[in-house]
Amino acid sequence: MNIVESVNMAVKTLTANKLRSTLTMLGIIIGNASVIAMVGVGQGAQRYASEQFESLGPNVLFIIPGSEEANRSTIDIPRSLTLEDAEAIETQVPTVTAVAPQLQSQQPVTTGSKRSSILILGTTPAFTEVRDFDVERGRFFTELDVQRSNRVAALGSDTARKLFGDTNPIGQQIRVKNVSFEVIGVMEAKGAFLGNNQDDTVFIPLTTMSSRITGNQSPYGTEVTFISVSAKDEQTINAAQFQIANLLRLRHKVTNEDDFTIRNQKDALEIVGNVTGALTLMLAAIAGISLFVGGIGIMNIMLVSVRERTQEIGLRKAIGASQQDILTQFMIEAIILAAIGGVVGTAIGVGGVTLISAVTPLKAGVSPMAIVLAVGVSGGIGLFFGVFPARQAAKLDPIVALRSA
Amino acid sequence: MQTIIRLEHIEKTYGEGDTIVHALQDVNLTVESGEYCAIMGPSGSGKSTAMNVIGCLDRPTSGSYYLDGLDVSQIADAELAHIRNRKLGFVFQQFHLLPQLTAMENVMLPMVYAGVSTSERKERAAEALTRVGLANRLNNKPTQLSGGQQQRVAIARAIVNRPVLLLADEPTGALDSHTTQEVLNIFGELNASGITVVMVTHEPEVARQTRRIVWFRDGQVMYDRLTPADMSQLVMASSVN
Repeated sequence: MNIVESVNMAVKTLTANKLRSTLTMLGIIIGNASVIAMVGVGQGAQRYASEQFESLGPNVLFIIPGSEEANRSTIDIPRSLTLEDAEAIETQVPTVTAVAPQLQSQQPVTTGSKRSSILILGTTPAFTEVRDFDVERGRFFTELDVQRSNRVAALGSDTARKLFGDTNPIGQQIRVKNVSFEVIGVMEAKGAFLGNNQDDTVFIPLTTMSSRITGNQSPYGTEVTFISVSAKDEQTINAAQFQIANLLRLRHKVTNEDDFTIRNQKDALEIVGNVTGALTLMLAAIAGISLFVGGIGIMNIMLVSVRERTQEIGLRKAIGASQQDILTQFMIEAIILAAIGGVVGTAIGVGGVTLISAVTPLKAGVSPMAIVLAVGVSGGIGLFFGVFPARQAAKLDPIVALRSA
Repeated sequence: MQTIIRLEHIEKTYGEGDTIVHALQDVNLTVESGEYCAIMGPSGSGKSTAMNVIGCLDRPTSGSYYLDGLDVSQIADAELAHIRNRKLGFVFQQFHLLPQLTAMENVMLPMVYAGVSTSERKERAAEALTRVGLANRLNNKPTQLSGGQQQRVAIARAIVNRPVLLLADEPTGALDSHTTQEVLNIFGELNASGITVVMVTHEPEVARQTRRIVWFRDGQVMYDRLTPADMSQLVMASSVN
C-alpha cells in the first residue's frame, strides 16, 4: 500500500469523526498558537529594546555612580560622580570626542497658568553631539551659558507643545521650581527611549541646574547623575573605557572597589538581551508544555481509536494488511492530526502576533524559522505520540480482534 | 485435480504444563480444488481453530499445512498477510464491513493491500458486486443495506482478489432463513463457477447444501466425509448432550 493511499484512508477515517478529530487537534492548535505568539512577542520585545540602545550609537559609554554590585543591589549609591570628573575625562582621555555630564530631576514647571511636572535635565552643549539630539528651532545653550550658569532652557518637542501649544516658545519665560528661564530653543522629536519619553524634557545648563534647582549634595564637586561619553569610533571604545576607568580610579583615590560603573552599548544590549531572552524562553517553555499536553491528547484519542476499531484492524489483517500497513495507517492518522493542528495553530499564532505588533509598539515578528520549527515539532509530536497506539494496533492478533464484539 | 488444502498431523496447543489445551490433535484433512465443504462439530471441537489455521490467521504448533501446494505452516507474519491477501477470501458471521466506506470501497479494500491500480480496482469491485447481485447498490454505505445485502458485499470483497479458497465462518449465523438461502445460493453459484469453498457452520440445513461435510470432535477430524443423514443424527446427539 503506498503513502498516498494511506493518507487517503486516514483522511476518510478522520473526517468520519469530525468532532473528535477537531477536539483532538485543538490541543495542538492551542499549543502551537501560543508558542508562535509567545516567541514572537518575546523577540519583538528584544528587538524593540535593541533598537532603542542601537539608536544611541555604537560609540557611547555611560558612566554611572556606584559599583557594579551597588547598582545591581540598588543600595544607596554614593554621589561620587562630578562635573569635574567629566571635564577631566574630556581633557585627559585622548580617545573620547565628547563628554556630556547629566544631572536630572523631576520638577514642577509653570508657564502662565499651565503647570506640570517635567524631567529637568542639566547638561553641557556636548549632549547634543553625544546623544545625537539636534535643535529644531532656536539654539541649544553654549559653553558660555554653562560657565555663567545662565537661566536658559531648550525644550523637548512635546514639552514645547504642552506648555505653549502652537505659539512660538522661543523668547518666552518658563518657571522651573520658581526659577525663571528663557526658552532659547526647541529640540527635534526623538521618540521614547525604553518607555521614557525623551521629548518631554527641559534642557538647562548643568551649572544652573546644580546651583539653582537641585542644589549640590556631593562633597567632591558639582554632582552629576551620570556621564555620557562619545568615543572616537567603535575600535577605540574599549580603550576609552579602560582609560576612563583608570582616570576615575585615580581621581576618586579608589583602592579596592570602584565607586562607579562604565557601561557601553554592548553591555546594555547584553543585559536587555539576557532579560528578554530569559523571558522569551520562559514563555516558550510554558507554551511548549501546552504543545506537549496536546500531544498526549493525540495519544489518548489514538488509543481509544485503536480500542474502538479493533474489529476493523482484525478485518484489515484478515484481508491482507501486514503489521507494517496497520502501523503506517495509525501513524499517518496521528501525524495528520498533529500537522493540521500545527498549521492551524501557526496561522492563529501569526495572526495574534500581527495583531499585537499592530496595536502595541512591540514589533513582534514571526521568523520563518519559528514556523518551520513549530510545524516540524507538531509533526514530531504526532510521530512520537502516535507510535505507541499504532504499535498496539499493529500487534493485535487478528483472531482476537475479529471475535471482539 | 489440484489439492488446495492439505493438513498433515496438525497439532495446536495453548498454554503449557498442567493447563495445556490441545485444540487440535493430529488433524489430517485434504480439500481438492472445486470442493464445497462444510466443517461442523460441537462447540470446543476445534473447528474454529482449524479454520484459523486454514485461513492463515494462526500457525499450527506442529505439523504441515500446504495451501495451494505451498507450505505455510511456519512462515513469517508479513508473508502470511500476503498469502491471506492473494490466496484467501474471508466471509464472517458479523460481515465486518467498514461503516465509513461505501460498498464499492469496502470491496476495493483487499485490492488496496494488493497494490492493484485504482482503475482496475473499480472495475473489479463493480464486477464482483454485480456477481453477488448488488450492481445497483455500489455507492451505498453498509448502514443503508440489509443484513443479507451486507453479507453479499462481504462475499464480493472475499472473491475480488480471485482467491484459490473462499473461507466462511458461520456466514449465515446473523441472517434470517430467507436471506440465509440467498447467501447460500451465491456460495453455490460461486462454487459452480469453480471456486473452492470451505465454511464453518452449526446449522444442518446450511451444511446440507454443501457437497461435503467434515465433522470435528475433540480436536480431531472424526468424519472426513459425512452423509447428510448421519450428520443430522450427530447434530441431534450433540444437542441432546
